Amino acid sequence: MLSADEAADLIEAIASRQDRAAFANLFRHFAPRVKAFIMRGGTDAEAAQEVSQEALIMVWRKAASFDRSRASAATWIYTIARNKRIDLLRRGARPIDTEDWLVVYAPEEEDAGKSILVGQSYTRVKELLEGLPKDQLVVIQKAFFEDKTHTVIADEMKLPLGTVKSRIRLALRRLRQELEKDES
Amino acid sequence: MSRHPAPEELLLDYAAGALSDGPALALALHVALDPESRQTVDQLNAVGGALIEGEPEALLDDAALERALARVSKVMVEPRAVPSARRLGFEWAPPPLVPHLRPGMGWRRILGQFDEIRLDVPGDAYRVSLLRLEPGRGLPEHKHAGYEYTVCLQGGYTDATGSYSVGDFAVGPGGERHEPIADPGEPCIALIVVEKPIVLTGPWGRWLNPLVSRGIIGRGDVPALNV
Repeated sequence: MLSADEAADLIEAIASRQDRAAFANLFRHFAPRVKAFIMRGGTDAEAAQEVSQEALIMVWRKAASFDRSRASAATWIYTIARNKRIDLLRRGARPIDTEDWLVVYAPEEEDAGKSILVGQSYTRVKELLEGLPKDQLVVIQKAFFEDKTHTVIADEMKLPLGTVKSRIRLALRRLRQELEKDES
Repeated sequence: MSRHPAPEELLLDYAAGALSDGPALALALHVALDPESRQTVDQLNAVGGALIEGEPEALLDDAALERALARVSKVMVEPRAVPSARRLGFEWAPPPLVPHLRPGMGWRRILGQFDEIRLDVPGDAYRVSLLRLEPGRGLPEHKHAGYEYTVCLQGGYTDATGSYSVGDFAVGPGGERHEPIADPGEPCIALIVVEKPIVLTGPWGRWLNPLVSRGIIGRGDVPALNV
């Protein structure tokens, strides 16, 4: 296992000295997990492996843009993998540059951009997810794993759109309340 | 003035990467300008991170790491990314919009009433435009056949649903008539992403709709039809 701090150290080692050993450690931990995550949505193993491979290479390229005070390594890698999935699987022949999202737009008020989640371990978020009522959790998981909008999810689950929206809102409210409670 | 955030289910669609490019751009601009929505997206991204951390390890083929190491030996670690610089004449454009602003792009006057810049965003299901309205001017009254997403980027506007200022997000479901009017002050500039062609319902519409339906003027020629 790799702790959140260790993972952040590895990314910083890549940024500061192109550390190949650090990359190998990060790859061993995250590449198989990203691949498994991508496969959840029904993507075949080969394509999922390509997304995973390209995502980790992007981690190397963009390591200097990682800011451990803004996001955990896992969260940052998630956003990279998500965009690689869009580029490679959905957009197909028309890739466009999706790298701009790497730059979090710094607002005038400095503190506004500081995520309350930085101090959170993934286990805490995972625990909160597992504590959600099943019907709410299913909707959240479908969105992330299957890369589907809430409209499509409502359609597939044969649920009224309003029901799906309220499940999402209840789930987010719960997550937010708990995370803010942790923070204070 | 009360804040108009994007609905949470759309923030989830955005964080999950499920949106098409047009709506995703609208959300990116809103999130860039609205700290609370940005925090919600941060939280959702952390959910994505937790889901990845919680995955069992899928089998990677043995050579995967070696291939990756061979690749990175040829790839530079890039310097820290900085936000896109503001573009001259487009100082109101938040960084996520800047890459979409191409050299030579300029406002086009439409129906003598407002200005438009049509953006080239991949995917043909959406029309993506910047609109500029002088204070007190409005768009022709119209209703939508599909979804419409609006993000206010400069100034403000008011319609039957409320007053919108910089960073505010509006999502228009189909079938609702509305007629936004720019607030006093600097001209109102907004990004508008529209799913499907719309039907004009005001006096403009009675005049224009038949021309459009008979193909005398193309929908693309009259941006007002799609806003």
